[in-house]
Amino acid sequence: MLLIPCPHCGPRNSSEFRYAGEGRRRPDVTAVMPPEWRSYLYERRNAAGWVRESWYHTFGCRRFFAVERDTVTNAVRPGSPA
Amino acid sequence: MSAPYRLEPQPGEVLDRSQPVRFRWDGREYDGLAGDTIVSALLASGVDCFSRSFKYSRPRGVLTASFVDPNCTVQVGDEPNVRAAHRRLAAGMDVRPQNAWPSLRYDARVVNSALARFLTAGFYYKTFMKPQRLWPVYASVLSRFASGGCTRPDAAHAYYDKRYAHADVVVAGAGPAGLAAAVAAARAGARVMLVEEEYDVGGHLRWGDPADLARLAELRAVLVAEPGIEVLTDSVVTGRYDDNWLAILQRGRPGGGERLVKTRAATLVVAAGLVERPYVFAGNDLPGVVLGTAVRRLVNLHAVRPGSRAVVFTANEEGEAAAADLQRVGVEVVRTVDARRGEGIARALGRRHVQGVELTDGWRHAVDLLVTSTGWTAPTSLLNMAGNRPVWDPTAARFRPGPELPDTVFATGGIVGDGTTDELVAHGQAVGEAAAARARGERPAPVPPLGVRPHPAMFRGPTHGFVDMSEDVTSKDIVAAAAEGYDSSELVKRFTTATMGPSQGKLEVVNTVAVLGEAVGRNMEQLGTTVWRPPYAPISLGALAGRIFEPVRRSPMHAWHEAHGATPLVAGQWIRPDSYGDPMAEASAVRRAVGIIDVTPLGKLELQGPDVPKLLNLVYVNKWSKLDVGSVRYGVMCAEDGVVFDDGVTGRLADEHYLMSTTSSGAAAVWEWLENWLQTEHADWQVHVTPLTTAYASINVAGPRSRELLARLVEGIDLSPEAFPYMRVRTGRIAGVENCLAWRIGFTGELSYEIHVPASYGLHVWETLLRTGDDLGVVAFGVEAQRILRLEKGHLIVGQDTDGLTKAFSAGLEGLVKLDKDDFAGRPELVWGSERLSDAPRLVALQPLDPHLVPAEGSQIVHDHSRIAGRVTSSRRSPELGRSICLAQVEPDLAAPGSVVTIVLPDGSRAEATVQPQLAHVDPEGSRLRG
Amino acid sequence: MTARKPARYSAFDLVRRGLTRRDWPRSWREHDLNSSYDVVVIGAGVHGLACAYYLAANHGITNVAVLDKGYLGGGGSGRNTAIIRSNYLTPEGVAFYDRSVKLYENLAAELNFNVMFEQRGHLTLAHNDSSLRTMRWRAEVNKLQGVNSEVIGPADIKRLVPYMDVSPESRYPILGALYHPPGGTIRHDAVNWGYARAADVLGVQIHQNTEVLGIDVVGDRVTGVRTNRGAVAAPIVVNCTAGWASLVSALAGVTLPITTYPLQAAVTEPVKTFLRTVVVSGTLHVYVSQTDRGELVFGASVDPYPSYSMRGSLEFTEELAGHVLELMPGIASLRVLRQWAGLCDMTPDYSPIMGVTPVDGFLLDVGWGTYGFKAGPVSGETMAELVATGKTPELIASFDLARFADGRLVGEKGAAAVGH
Repeated sequence: MLLIPCPHCGPRNSSEFRYAGEGRRRPDVTAVMPPEWRSYLYERRNAAGWVRESWYHTFGCRRFFAVERDTVTNAVRPGSPA
Repeated sequence: MSAPYRLEPQPGEVLDRSQPVRFRWDGREYDGLAGDTIVSALLASGVDCFSRSFKYSRPRGVLTASFVDPNCTVQVGDEPNVRAAHRRLAAGMDVRPQNAWPSLRYDARVVNSALARFLTAGFYYKTFMKPQRLWPVYASVLSRFASGGCTRPDAAHAYYDKRYAHADVVVAGAGPAGLAAAVAAARAGARVMLVEEEYDVGGHLRWGDPADLARLAELRAVLVAEPGIEVLTDSVVTGRYDDNWLAILQRGRPGGGERLVKTRAATLVVAAGLVERPYVFAGNDLPGVVLGTAVRRLVNLHAVRPGSRAVVFTANEEGEAAAADLQRVGVEVVRTVDARRGEGIARALGRRHVQGVELTDGWRHAVDLLVTSTGWTAPTSLLNMAGNRPVWDPTAARFRPGPELPDTVFATGGIVGDGTTDELVAHGQAVGEAAAARARGERPAPVPPLGVRPHPAMFRGPTHGFVDMSEDVTSKDIVAAAAEGYDSSELVKRFTTATMGPSQGKLEVVNTVAVLGEAVGRNMEQLGTTVWRPPYAPISLGALAGRIFEPVRRSPMHAWHEAHGATPLVAGQWIRPDSYGDPMAEASAVRRAVGIIDVTPLGKLELQGPDVPKLLNLVYVNKWSKLDVGSVRYGVMCAEDGVVFDDGVTGRLADEHYLMSTTSSGAAAVWEWLENWLQTEHADWQVHVTPLTTAYASINVAGPRSRELLARLVEGIDLSPEAFPYMRVRTGRIAGVENCLAWRIGFTGELSYEIHVPASYGLHVWETLLRTGDDLGVVAFGVEAQRILRLEKGHLIVGQDTDGLTKAFSAGLEGLVKLDKDDFAGRPELVWGSERLSDAPRLVALQPLDPHLVPAEGSQIVHDHSRIAGRVTSSRRSPELGRSICLAQVEPDLAAPGSVVTIVLPDGSRAEATVQPQLAHVDPEGSRLRG
Repeated sequence: MTARKPARYSAFDLVRRGLTRRDWPRSWREHDLNSSYDVVVIGAGVHGLACAYYLAANHGITNVAVLDKGYLGGGGSGRNTAIIRSNYLTPEGVAFYDRSVKLYENLAAELNFNVMFEQRGHLTLAHNDSSLRTMRWRAEVNKLQGVNSEVIGPADIKRLVPYMDVSPESRYPILGALYHPPGGTIRHDAVNWGYARAADVLGVQIHQNTEVLGIDVVGDRVTGVRTNRGAVAAPIVVNCTAGWASLVSALAGVTLPITTYPLQAAVTEPVKTFLRTVVVSGTLHVYVSQTDRGELVFGASVDPYPSYSMRGSLEFTEELAGHVLELMPGIASLRVLRQWAGLCDMTPDYSPIMGVTPVDGFLLDVGWGTYGFKAGPVSGETMAELVATGKTPELIASFDLARFADGRLVGEKGAAAVGH
């Protein structure tokens, strides 16, 4: 059970949260071409090591926020603001 | 029965001599004493064989006299796999051997012993191949050899509960080091939980000499005097998970159940001590071959005389102490064979019990007890789970924790090194202080390490013997496996199954690796150990599950539904009325007069703020900028890949005030979806979302007389078609209840009003509707009738008539999608999809040519006899049309109105159906709905 | 490269060697790493070993090296719960897995290694009308493809699994099940070892403890790999890894639509056999079978967040236990002995990625999610055909990497939420 550092509520069990994915930037939909859009939809860095990711505090403040996590050791630290 | 092997009272014994305990073993009655384990009581009575081995059916007796004893697993009543060398006796226990057929004394499978040379490890990989279809027959014979106990489908369910504890420091193991650590941490102000696997604290001091007992008494007195420590005995820290999330198994709870205690410890101190390692030689599994620690436990804790004439084979003080204990209680020790002097044992002799021992120098002694004390294994499992890899220490001849421990995990005691009791206590104390400091967030100074004493590296004698007794794996099997290429610790483990049994390698892993090393010419450092996986001690499914907690949601009208014979329908978390007995009649009543249905589970989100229209435009595929106050609109939501994921209506209640409805199952996901857009993409938009699903009870009043019915109850709302037309929302008083909402929409295809009333008035409004509408023929209808009605109307259900790849264009919703909007979720995919719309499957309405045939939902539609070209997504008999009606997804070239498609029914027969001009089977013009 | 005469495995040979006390020879040899091979396969799991075996057996291509950073079969191939079935949802999926089941049925004889395939039947429970509808859908697709599947009711379920609570009062009442008689279990290690031994006999080299650290690409062509034991030239490199597929592909500059999640499993202490069929419940996120050793083997869905950590979690066992006891309340006193995790490369459409990449000669057999083991033989067979002929076999055409950029996803997602 990870301890997730919620910036609004403090550290809480990961069962209160939902993992919301790698941080990604949404392309401009009016100009986007299929390769770029589908890369946004489907491709992930999937890095082994420290990653910046988004979590949602479902059973808490219901805020999305960033954390940094080492996907090899599951060590977690607060994410720097985007 | 008498207890011929029971000794006179011993100084450290845990027995209550005033309390005899009667129990049954293998069908006969025995007497033990309170404080006995099942095994100590049986040993005292002269029983020496507790199980037959898994493969060769060899008789097995006590080996370690502790929880990990591989030979003492028994059935107690309905409970399989009870560790009889640990489990305390209880009056009336019915204890049976587990794997003996027909009996423990005469086991038929003993013939396997004679065949041992053919049944080497992994033999089954090399035979039973032909014919392949007969393997299950062989397998079912082999599965009779399964070594476990029995279960019953209706076994009584013990009461299990869980506990969340709050400890700063958890100490695993209450030997001298663990005790000292707990006391030191508590004195430093930490809340401490001290967890001990045995029934009492003290570790090896408990079965020690008078000086040990005196020291234990001092330590215990200090412990008892310290208020900040909770002590759990007969309990084990079974797992250390991410961020020191600890699982503690508390056994022996009143009623026999186990309890799972969970805690987020700031620091964990592992003081698990040492496990004595068996020695590998011919006959090492015979009853009467026991470990030195087992002798000391049996003599000192349970006052059992484990034999009459003994040879003690030792490489350390434990063996010497065992020899001294034996002599003290009158067992003749005919020879102490000291490995440190180069002496050794070659084999144990005997068939059912040790009758003699042959030494490496050729001497033979007739004995009934052979004691070995040849080394230790550090149970580093919890440290392993914390990411630490143990390293081999050639001086101590055991694996020890590696240098890299997380800063929230500490280790002390035998697991890290050797020492006198004073040294262990001093180290434990220093570690306890450091653990408390770390728990306060400080960075404690490193604790000087505990030293190690030299110990000869001893694993196997000059003969082959058992390396894993619970799996019946010999050292010869390991050597043979290595020769076949299974030459790493992991491969040899998988091939021979050594270390895979109930003690999970605590006794076996080091010998397995050592024998492998011998075979492949590599040392322990090179081979390393296998990874220890949780749990550290086995834990029952019941304890893990706890009191199974699966909450259900019920609407405020639920009791009414139950009282009126509703068939319950489990819909995710909700329990809903499927019907009240006759769904066809309910549907007809709605078409004819009026019906009411409880739609409380419908998701409801209140949206407030000036930027709500922007949000709606973004999440729905259709346009929302010009929704007037008092209007509602149907909308479909797509994910970013263009796939439909929810639908519902949203109404504008006031200038900056909207109510959105979602599907019942989609309510939580939609809410999160909205928050995601608002928080991560458009943080500048002013919209506040409040979930109101259970704040309102929701009732749909449907049917041609719904207006008439509602008019009798409504105040402040003009229900006339001109004042309150289709797709409008109004607020007012209903049945005397303020702040009710009514919107005119119609999933059923009838004139209908969906009313939302404050939840606490739900039942009142429901009953008032029924009472007031009695003369109009009002009925309550359930989910099944609603499904019939909506199918007649051709309204799709997201998730049923769509699937994980259905985009809005193929769902029959093309008309809704507004690609001229700059941006909305899924837009790019829908734009590109619209360009190759011709390929996408289409949702169509079908009517089977045979009006009585209702194809099962999921039936396939085929093209050219067998190629799958679609499927029936919804199918019912229509009471209105008196015939079967369907919705289906079909390939575009089958979708033209009037086409006849072939449906393959579950029984293999085929039926034809005609594609309808539109999705609605009933009232395609919508005159009922809009009337 | 050099073939050898195999030592036959049979009851007769077991007896003969038992009598003469002669050891069996090595099942696979150790080799120095050559400076070049015709084909390098990365990953000595069931996919890589099967690919190498079929290259040699079906196409005579034997100058093949299988490289693995650990021991053979140590990844997903040795960590899965060894359930075999072909009752998929899409016609493509059914055809593909059906071929795999057929290969598994004859594998013991073909490899001369008992892989212990037991077609004991596979039950997927439906606890609500929507999953019952999906079961019907799957059954109908299966039957049209010649695969034996049928929807059965609670009474038949109770007959197959007497421990099952089929009462309508239970929290998640069992409304029916998809029964798939050809489904069953296999001994996963035996499959890995059998392929390794058979490939070795034909001359394939298996290199354990050989980690690929780099993939050489010149222009748009792969030219070889760099390992901890030196560089190897090869015109064809097949990525058959799981768990590390996206990292290995990144070495060749190929980005994959993959996220890696741990999938956990657990096993209980043995008890006498009481469960013959494999039982799966999607609603309760659990699948369970009993081994011939008497242990119950459990699995569930992948973890809620991606990770390369394989340490396992307590909440996994807690939820698992709760759900298992919902199904079979009588086994509460059974104890969990061990839990472990493997890594699953999840793709957006719950279907694998097989075939060519923008880098010539760099081929993929990855993205196997939670269902890779059951596809081992057919994947090896089709990938070997692709390597040998240069043409993508029809059976795997829809699993190409380009489908993501083209927006042609495979529709298996609906059936694969708990895909066992």
